[in-house]
Amino acid sequence: MGPRSDLPLSDNPAIRILPWIIALMVYLATLTLAGGLLVATMADEWSRSLTGALTVQVTPTKSESSVELDARVAQATRTLLKTPGVKSAHAIPLAEISAMLEPWLGPESNIADLPLPRLIAVTLDRELDREALAQRLQKTPGAEIDDHEYWRTHLVMFLRSLEIVAVIMVSLIGVTTATIVVFATRSGLAVHLEVIEVLHLIGAPDDYIASQFQRHAQRLGFIGGVAGGVFGVATLLGLSTLAGNLDGAALPSFQNWHWPVLAALPIASAYIAKWTARRIVIRALTSMV
Amino acid sequence: MATSNNTIVKFEKVGIRYGTGPEVLRDINFDLAEASFSFLTGVSGAGKSSLLRLMYLATRPNRGLVTMFGKDVTTVTRNELPAIRRNIGVVFQDFRLLNHLNIFDNVALPLRVSGAPEDVVDKHVSELLTWVGLADHLKALPPTLSGGQKQRVAIARAVIARPRLLLADEPTGNVNDAIAVRLLYLFEELNRVGTTVVIATHNEALVDRFGHAQLHLDKGSITHRRVEPNS
Repeated sequence: MGPRSDLPLSDNPAIRILPWIIALMVYLATLTLAGGLLVATMADEWSRSLTGALTVQVTPTKSESSVELDARVAQATRTLLKTPGVKSAHAIPLAEISAMLEPWLGPESNIADLPLPRLIAVTLDRELDREALAQRLQKTPGAEIDDHEYWRTHLVMFLRSLEIVAVIMVSLIGVTTATIVVFATRSGLAVHLEVIEVLHLIGAPDDYIASQFQRHAQRLGFIGGVAGGVFGVATLLGLSTLAGNLDGAALPSFQNWHWPVLAALPIASAYIAKWTARRIVIRALTSMV
Repeated sequence: MATSNNTIVKFEKVGIRYGTGPEVLRDINFDLAEASFSFLTGVSGAGKSSLLRLMYLATRPNRGLVTMFGKDVTTVTRNELPAIRRNIGVVFQDFRLLNHLNIFDNVALPLRVSGAPEDVVDKHVSELLTWVGLADHLKALPPTLSGGQKQRVAIARAVIARPRLLLADEPTGNVNDAIAVRLLYLFEELNRVGTTVVIATHNEALVDRFGHAQLHLDKGSITHRRVEPNS
């Protein structure tokens, strides 16, 4: 049995609909926040993986045979391996490049006939002097360093923008939830004005009346929040299963700490409802005698 | 005007109007001593309910000074009002029972509002409802009660917290003369244990029969005041 209330707050249709609306809001907030968390994880992972790597590209010259090109690639690889800070360096095999290009060129293509640049994947174990490495590679004509800086900067900036958008959206959902609680509480005040007046006249302080509204709003906020959160997490698990079926897709996955963050949303919705209702009731009661 | 130590209500040149209309109460001057018993009389529209509303702090005067329990209630802050109101029990003319609460919870309200423990609430409310003859109706909702039963619930709610001042607006208006007399005896009993009682009524026969002090209102002014012999 819940705490006793002197006000029949559950009888008000405007308040009865509150948990449904809060459930919808928390559902949307769960999906938005989950998206934001995944984007943040993705940005961190990509940024980290690209920071410790670079690619050296060896461009073929006209009339150069593949044997000659292979020799230049081998020379560049040896130079890289002798460079302090380089953990590993290996030429990406043609078969692997072929596999990467297959979706665009088709399975029948023979990339050996194409003047494609050869790539050397390099992993680093510490920060590298890019200028010094470029000078070392000058003895291999056509070798260029691509440290992914331009691509990484723009991609991470885009992902961080998505994170900010997610935070703004969750905040707006919170504001919308509070606004709905404001209208429901005002409706409750109007409907129960006579009861409130009687309570005042027998000596009930504003806090006594406000506590009944805030307790009710908090309970409805929590019920709606849990319902919305459960449906939100179920949707995420469904999407996660679908994503798991996409073989080889570079999709991020949820971290363990993401779940407590998402679980905090129903609690947040309960407190938003509680404090909004209290603020509105106290303000309204202050204008009464 | 000096206030004696045992004066708990004092009105000085009090006037009130609603909106931009004429004053419904004009230059009201009177005081009530602790443990006194007064009738407030006058025809319908004379201003009895407005005067009671001022006394139970449902409204504030437009002018004049109202002192309750030694405090000027025209200037007290909102935070001070609940404590003053808890010294006042009110029997409303239309009872103003909360229809969604059973009569036990209705009567218990003043105790709960003042933070009384539930075991105290249970004991006192059960005793009082037994005393007013409603022990068999503890779980009944007000809409299922007769007018007389509602009246008794309203009185029980007004006196449960042992207020220093009891205000009753036409408490005998919905009952026959026999019950009206019994109610008056009940109010006298409360008065004997120290409660100041003010009863608004237009029942002159009842006023004459009990012979207490009388404040008579006519067109918004107190036209005469008969003081009981022993006051």
